[in-house]
Amino acid sequence: MSDVTTMTTEVESIVAAVEEARGRQRQLLVRGGGSVLDRLPPTDAEELSTAQLTGVVDHRPQDLVVTVRAGTPIEELSALLAAHGQECPIEPLAGHGSTVGGRLATALAGPRQLQAGRVRDWVLRVRLVTADARVVTAGGVTVKDVTGYDLCRLATGSWGTIGVIAEVTLKLRPIPIHSAWFATERSAPRVLAELYRPAAVVTTGQRTLVHLEEHPDDIAAQAMVAGLQPADPPAWPTTARAAVDPSRLAALTSLAESTGLTYAAFEGVGVCLLDGDADALAAAGERAAELGGSLLVLDPDRGGPGWGERTEDAMGLRIRSALDPDGLLLDVRQPR
Amino acid sequence: MDPAAGTSPRRDAPPTAAESALLSELQVVLGDDGLRTSTLSRATYRRDASFLNADPLAIALPSTREQLATVLRSCRDHRVPFTPRAAGTGLAGGATPTGVDGVRPLVISVARMDRLLELDVPNRRAHVEPGMVNARLGRAVAAHGLRFAPDPASQIAATLGGNVATNAGGIHVLTYGVMSQHVLAVELMDTDGEVHLFDGRQPEQTGLDLRGVSVGGEGTLGFVVGAWLKLLPAPPAIGTLLAGFDTLEAAAATVGALVTSDRLPDAVELMDARAIALVEDYAQAGYPTDAAAVLLLEYEGLPAGVGAGVETAERLAREHGATAVVRAADADQRARIWKGRKAVAGAIAKTAPDFFLQDVVVPRSRLGEMLDAVVAIGEREDLIILTVVHAGDGNLHPFVLFDRREEGVLDRVFAAGHDIVTTALALDGTLTGEHGVGIEKRDFLSQVYTADDLAVQQAVRRAMEPSGLANPDKMLPTTVGCQEASMVPEGAWV
Repeated sequence: MSDVTTMTTEVESIVAAVEEARGRQRQLLVRGGGSVLDRLPPTDAEELSTAQLTGVVDHRPQDLVVTVRAGTPIEELSALLAAHGQECPIEPLAGHGSTVGGRLATALAGPRQLQAGRVRDWVLRVRLVTADARVVTAGGVTVKDVTGYDLCRLATGSWGTIGVIAEVTLKLRPIPIHSAWFATERSAPRVLAELYRPAAVVTTGQRTLVHLEEHPDDIAAQAMVAGLQPADPPAWPTTARAAVDPSRLAALTSLAESTGLTYAAFEGVGVCLLDGDADALAAAGERAAELGGSLLVLDPDRGGPGWGERTEDAMGLRIRSALDPDGLLLDVRQPR
Repeated sequence: MDPAAGTSPRRDAPPTAAESALLSELQVVLGDDGLRTSTLSRATYRRDASFLNADPLAIALPSTREQLATVLRSCRDHRVPFTPRAAGTGLAGGATPTGVDGVRPLVISVARMDRLLELDVPNRRAHVEPGMVNARLGRAVAAHGLRFAPDPASQIAATLGGNVATNAGGIHVLTYGVMSQHVLAVELMDTDGEVHLFDGRQPEQTGLDLRGVSVGGEGTLGFVVGAWLKLLPAPPAIGTLLAGFDTLEAAAATVGALVTSDRLPDAVELMDARAIALVEDYAQAGYPTDAAAVLLLEYEGLPAGVGAGVETAERLAREHGATAVVRAADADQRARIWKGRKAVAGAIAKTAPDFFLQDVVVPRSRLGEMLDAVVAIGEREDLIILTVVHAGDGNLHPFVLFDRREEGVLDRVFAAGHDIVTTALALDGTLTGEHGVGIEKRDFLSQVYTADDLAVQQAVRRAMEPSGLANPDKMLPTTVGCQEASMVPEGAWV
């Protein structure tokens, strides 16, 4: 963590912090729970923390909608929703205290994205503090809304560069009545073809692991069809994550096999979690880049985020300079 | 309100020098067949499925990206605005060719860019051109055991490009989500003829999600020339239920109970008594004609889950006083139940010369209040309003029926439309769930968003489309202020 960190407890204090940083012409790095930032090399930028901007603003079980402050830990939100039999399937990264705002800002994918859709698909409304310290709302609290441009999508995965995410409204769903992990020797493409919309399919070195949700009779029948045996959930590598078009995932896992990397690949999603030595990870980064993807190293001792080729469309660059002409909001993925 | 009082672009005025220069350039690129300037052609393209209309300069029908790029560059060079047009099933005037400052826009049709470019069965996705009709994609992928989930009622005519432009919804949004969730990548052509690929096929984008901003851009951010769409496996089992109720309140309360049950239905549609009577007469779908409301429910997926869902739905419906409950025994009966829902617009066309269709959303728990309010608004304005609802989403479609030959009726129709919108907003709802803003709802945006919110929206629009020529005057209010919003903005005719 950097030397200077401003803790915010209300939207107004974000506004004040942004104005103050502007006045001193200092860049700001937005920090949520630190589940990602703590695993990247430190910066000397001033930080604005939303970790104390917590709490549920409004939960309407009958509307399947919840509004929370950005710093609310995902585990805390999940527990509250579970008491009502509901969930928002934007999984936290394994065991690292992710906040809702941080999950939205990074939009890193989890294995259940295969069936449940992406983080961005669960976002109904976002309240942001822009680089010029304006509080701006995009979207609404209804599940369908085409009123104006869909700026919730712009904020999701923006790594805090479009504005400081202060409050988020999420779509919810009932928790599946039953769920279980299975394993099989069959290949992932075969399993994907044999099963009807599995929750997750994960390839590891030896086996294909499958997560099934919903009615227990259906789960039993599906397990029979695809020759699945009950299994524990996979262990998740934590050092790095590669992301490629899911149709190209096999090219990444075959490299991981041949270079001795431990991996867990989210089939149909395109993410491959990796553990292993620096040379093999570097090779994986190169392969990901060749495949048009990227590699994020989540280990401060490995020297750099390693995002490979950062590409931004000309229109995206124009949006960034329109909304933050002075570059106040730091993109932590920028090479340093 | 005098709808004809708006300043309309000139009808049949001689082209200006810039317009003439543009038309002669387009003539070379598109030929006689690809460029239409006659009075009759222009009349055909005056409006979409709303009744807001305006006179275009001409209609261009490019067949290729190269032709389209040339057309867009000519528009840029001569500073002539353009209105992208797909099937014209839009209901908010998004494809109505209103101009700016008296300059008529060129309508650019996607009708000849309608190919399925690639069907990738193993990875369950399709690369399409904008003019491909939604239902045609559905048929093309069905042979492979796949389906394209977004199913707006207009899907037999509406195109995928139009679905992208409006971020379309449909009957199965409750669990499958709106169009945006099914668009993996967008190819957007700018006014320099350059194609920008906003590629969301990767799970973690390194740039901003401009795919997501393009979806729902209503043709104002550039021209959608292609999209990669997500396909899903066809469900192995489908369970369909029809339930009749004595009151709208009972039907709405059942929706609330279903939404909080342990498995969400994939579709929950509600139709009121007037809608039931009209479609029964027209389509004989087997609805109980003595009911105040019916719910149409569907569960899709694996058989045990579908069966349990249907059981739960039937129990909840009966607990809330359902008088008639029918489970579809087979595919034919299911098709018949849905035929009624899909026949609403056709049935109306047979009954009333004109209708004005609204599209508002309220939180699901406010559905009963909103339905009551629509009934009251109909009584107050002495108009027949029938309502069909994507009830699982809280998305109401009140149809205001009228005959425009009746003197003064339009004032009452617009007053009703206005009141429906403001009532939805007062209930924490929003202006439009799936039809879009277009010109009809444009000036209401100031009632939903603050000046700062709209300034950011405007900044994003200018950053993506700096020329200001792409479907100008749509989506965002021209003046941010507290003036009374009008259903018929300046520049459009009724």
